[in-house]
Amino acid sequence: MNIHDGAPALSVAGLRKTYGETRAVDGIDLVVDRAEVVALLGPNGAGKSTTIDMVVGLSRPDAGEIAVFGASPHEAVRRGMVGVMPQEGALLDDVTVRETVALIASLHRTPLPAEEALRRAGVADLAGRRAALLSGGQKQRVRFAMALVPGPDLLVLDEPTAAMDVTARREFWQSMHAFAETGRTVLFSTHYLEEAEAYADRVVLMHAGRIVADGPVHAVMAEVSGRTVTATVPGARTEDLGALPGVTAAHVRDGRAELRCTDSDLVVRELLARYPEARDVEVAALGLEDAFLRLTGASEAVR
Amino acid sequence: MTGYLAFEIRRTLRDAKFLLFAVALPVGLYLLMADRFADQGAPASYVMGGVAAFGSMKAALDVGARTAVERGIGWQRQLRLTPLSGGGYLLAKASVAMVVALPPVAGVSLVAALVGGVHLSAGGWALAVLGVWAGTVPFALLGLLIGQFVGAQSLQAYQGAVVLVLSFVGGLFIPVSTFPDALATVAKVLPSYWLAQVGHAAALDGAGGVGGGEGSGQAALVLALYTLVLGVAVAVRYRRDTARA
Repeated sequence: MNIHDGAPALSVAGLRKTYGETRAVDGIDLVVDRAEVVALLGPNGAGKSTTIDMVVGLSRPDAGEIAVFGASPHEAVRRGMVGVMPQEGALLDDVTVRETVALIASLHRTPLPAEEALRRAGVADLAGRRAALLSGGQKQRVRFAMALVPGPDLLVLDEPTAAMDVTARREFWQSMHAFAETGRTVLFSTHYLEEAEAYADRVVLMHAGRIVADGPVHAVMAEVSGRTVTATVPGARTEDLGALPGVTAAHVRDGRAELRCTDSDLVVRELLARYPEARDVEVAALGLEDAFLRLTGASEAVR
Repeated sequence: MTGYLAFEIRRTLRDAKFLLFAVALPVGLYLLMADRFADQGAPASYVMGGVAAFGSMKAALDVGARTAVERGIGWQRQLRLTPLSGGGYLLAKASVAMVVALPPVAGVSLVAALVGGVHLSAGGWALAVLGVWAGTVPFALLGLLIGQFVGAQSLQAYQGAVVLVLSFVGGLFIPVSTFPDALATVAKVLPSYWLAQVGHAAALDGAGGVGGGEGSGQAALVLALYTLVLGVAVAVRYRRDTARA
């Protein structure tokens, strides 16, 4: 057993998994350091769940290496080093929440008491209820409690907020935050950019089984997002506008010029200096969804 | 694993409807058939052996096969993310199946003794109850195997067919000696035939009969072999299944 004190929380190299003709995961390298909160972001079918299944030992990679705190996924699960909330996992309808969580606790060597795990997940008040009577969001949070039971150093959450309403979602992220603040590591997948932006230190963007961007949230967003300056510029030619410093692309539509830019301040100054008659100037940040589309679209163009 | 076993036993004992049905069906069948067959000269103890085997076999199969539901909803996935091993899970489930398999055989025997007028020696009763019960192990494993292969929706159909074939072709209700040769050969391949042999051997022992077909020793050997093969099959299947139903 080689569990190194200095080993990263998660280290993945050359990971591949094929289902029939589909390359679900097509060569992934990823290192997650301790105490990082990382969002695995991507549209449905990007390979997020397949990656997570392999990382936690639910499925076997076709190729590649995975180490969780220097150990195999199975060993990490067995030792309670990793707590997992899988996407397709359910509760038994005929069993109460307390019994379910207590069962999971009885299977681990050094578990949190069931009541404590329920409290940390914010569902202590549901303890006496049978799973059949829970809403989808409540079930998810009970499953979050189950992931907390082993007292893990790494939490892996696969689309944790699916089926949650707005309130449940907010409360869930508060619980997750409390966990992360104790200096432990979280890897969660989501297809909501807002969640990645609000709760992660780092975003790993996946598309078609590959990682297409990886870095601090603001850096990943800035890399592609930028801003758009829109103005009415009488007499200006599209080519001239496109040549303005800081402009990456220019269109004229219905008499309005749309200027994609990396530095909108610079563009506005240049625009007004060269075209004093320019009016109705608007500066807008590219929407998150636009940025997302651009990121994933860009990778499509590269392939 | 003991924690999981205790959890599963508690769950099962709470399911009163299931337990009641598991006992009531074979007891009812016994009461119906004991009369009918007595007219044709079959001793009540002989009917008891077959019906008791049916009751415990069906109970064990049902418990195992119901794991298809847990597999379908993703509960097995949850368990794979705990230190509970696959072997531990399957062993616990098989143990629960065996717990549930005891009341039917005990119930049929009790009714046979009290109402059916069946008298056996102490050894005969031990074989009739404990022998048949122990012989149910391969059926618990077969149930688990079905549960690992079949989806929750189609479970009822498969399970019904399996129970039907095992009980009728295996000769639990109709003596195999009355079968055409070809069917009798098929019967002897089925584990249920050998389970019935255990039950019938007990009955014949009590009635002072000699040489009732193959002895229970051979039946024990065949059932042990089935246990081994099915045990390996279900363990391998659970290991390979990624539980993405």
